[in-house]
Amino acid sequence: MTAFIVKRVLSLIPILFIMSVIVFLIIYLIPGDPARVMLGDGADEATIQQLRANMGLDQPLILQYGQWMGSALQGDLGDSYFLKKSVSAVIGEHLQPTLSLALLAELIAIAIALPFGIWAAVNRGGWADKALTAYTLLGITIPGFLLSMFLVLLFAVQLKWLPVSGYAPISDGLWNFLKFLILPGVSVGVVMSSVIARIVRSSFLEVMNQGYVKTARSKGLRERSIVYKHILRNALIPILTVIGGTFGTLLAGAAVVESIFNIPGLGQLLVHSVSRRDYTVIQGLVLFIAFTYVLVNLVVDLLYAVVDPRIRLNK
Amino acid sequence: MPEELLLEVKALRTYFHTARGKLAAVDGVSFDVKRGEIVGVVGESGCGKSVTAQSVLRLLDEKHDVSYEGEIRFAGSNLLELKQRQMREIRGNEIAMIFQDPLSSLNPVYTIGEQIIEAIMLHQKIRRKEAVRKAIELLRLTGIPSPEQRVWEYPHQLSGGMRQRVMIAIALACEPQLLIADEPTTALDVTIQAQMMELITELNRKLAMSVLLITHDLGVVAETCQRVVVMYLGQVVEMADVASLFARPLHPYTIGLMGAIPRMDSDRTQDLQAIEGSVPSLLNVPSGCRFAPRCAYADEQCRQHMPELKRDAASGTMVRCWHAGTLAEAFEATEAAIATETSEAAERAEEKGGVQHAIYP
Repeated sequence: MTAFIVKRVLSLIPILFIMSVIVFLIIYLIPGDPARVMLGDGADEATIQQLRANMGLDQPLILQYGQWMGSALQGDLGDSYFLKKSVSAVIGEHLQPTLSLALLAELIAIAIALPFGIWAAVNRGGWADKALTAYTLLGITIPGFLLSMFLVLLFAVQLKWLPVSGYAPISDGLWNFLKFLILPGVSVGVVMSSVIARIVRSSFLEVMNQGYVKTARSKGLRERSIVYKHILRNALIPILTVIGGTFGTLLAGAAVVESIFNIPGLGQLLVHSVSRRDYTVIQGLVLFIAFTYVLVNLVVDLLYAVVDPRIRLNK
Repeated sequence: MPEELLLEVKALRTYFHTARGKLAAVDGVSFDVKRGEIVGVVGESGCGKSVTAQSVLRLLDEKHDVSYEGEIRFAGSNLLELKQRQMREIRGNEIAMIFQDPLSSLNPVYTIGEQIIEAIMLHQKIRRKEAVRKAIELLRLTGIPSPEQRVWEYPHQLSGGMRQRVMIAIALACEPQLLIADEPTTALDVTIQAQMMELITELNRKLAMSVLLITHDLGVVAETCQRVVVMYLGQVVEMADVASLFARPLHPYTIGLMGAIPRMDSDRTQDLQAIEGSVPSLLNVPSGCRFAPRCAYADEQCRQHMPELKRDAASGTMVRCWHAGTLAEAFEATEAAIATETSEAAERAEEKGGVQHAIYP
């Protein structure tokens, strides 16, 4: 198991390197000179050259990458030109809302998808199964922002149970923290749950036909033990994959939902940075998002090995 | 009491509910298994032998696909009338089952020990420590080397033969009175097949455990069973004790199956005989005798009317064929002819300088 973990972690190094090169080059693939764009049309040539020199844009590309990567490895992603703060600090400020929203939404999604998917698979063809088909179809076709609007209209505007928008950190108390997150969490979670529930159902149906399920039944086990002990663990690999995928996406910041609910998360930060051409922030943020995505996938990979001994021992 | 009936299947019908209607995969099957006896159920793929076996334990999906008719009497009660809760007490405890493919019959994510212990602790009130010891004992009994280490290995670390031994260990966990073995050797190679059948017959003798052996291999039946049920398209076509079946097979299907066994004493240049065609689908069951379309001896009567399962006066065999008596005599005549022919051929070969040389010049 230790060898497996070490191998997996080491295999990330080339991936992270290639990723960083691509992120770095993105800036140079965007047409226009960053310094010129940042200063606007009215800037004179001397100021532009000054900024170029400050940003290191006058140096050879490979040197620029080396400097950027070197400080990135030490946690320094440069400074934001507009916010006059270090990029790491800016990301740090916006991370907590995004992380909170992602965790809550994922928990809601799993809490809906797992029992619903299992229930549908066990009663395949029955009304539970049909209900799931209808639910997932709705979940996939209704856009997240529309669902958000409906939820706000009902629970915030009509019933006034929850605030319309905003965010409070967890240090303001659990309820204050949660009340802002419930509506966005539910609207993202419901959409995600329909994706996950489909996988749960199909994965379960596949495993239910396996020989060892018949063996379990022939031992005299109850249906419940068969489902939760013998089927669930075998069906878990594709389910983990899709949970990891949705969680990775959420960590990148649910830009639309964050905008609707005015949550100062990474999605909003990215949208704002792009619109104000804050290159260092864009670069640092994209690198950070890519890094978390890789990290989530690593965790999923390690969980595979926990679930299935064949993966642990083979590679 | 060797003559006591343990399992009695009476007019069993197992229906599958499909989009094209209700199909009887098992259509009025009756047979019994006595205490300590090995009974073989033989037939081609699709003849309903596996469905019969799974019907006994009611493993088929009754919620969606399947309904039963008839009676399955085991130790006094009709299994088809039991509630699922009562059925669970019987499964694994009184009647255990092993399956065709040991590769997929064991759960890949649990150790084999865990899977044996689960079966033990489900039906017996013993502590886990005790169950672990018992699991190791069972592995030893089924011939697994160094069971103390093997018990914590995963199925993928074992060979196919070993996995089938583990399956048998699981089946034996609660000392069942009846073991249903559904083609236990089909997925294994020939040498392992022989070992496995040896193990099953040995356990049958040692533990006085009855065995219902489902197979398509009459050779295996000849070596291990006391009685045999031959099935074709959901029906019993012949039922006899093994000695009389092999001495005097009555049904043309049985005769055909025997022709399909490779024999050591036959002429190797001759092609293996096979029964023409394949088992028809349940969607178009032939009227009249179900075997008639593939039978070389079928006449108008066979095509029009279904024969009943009747007792043959000479041997006591039960058979479902209009021409049972006459065919048996023809079979005996050809057998005798083959016997003399092969012995003459052997003599001729001897003169030419050895059998091997004669066959591969």
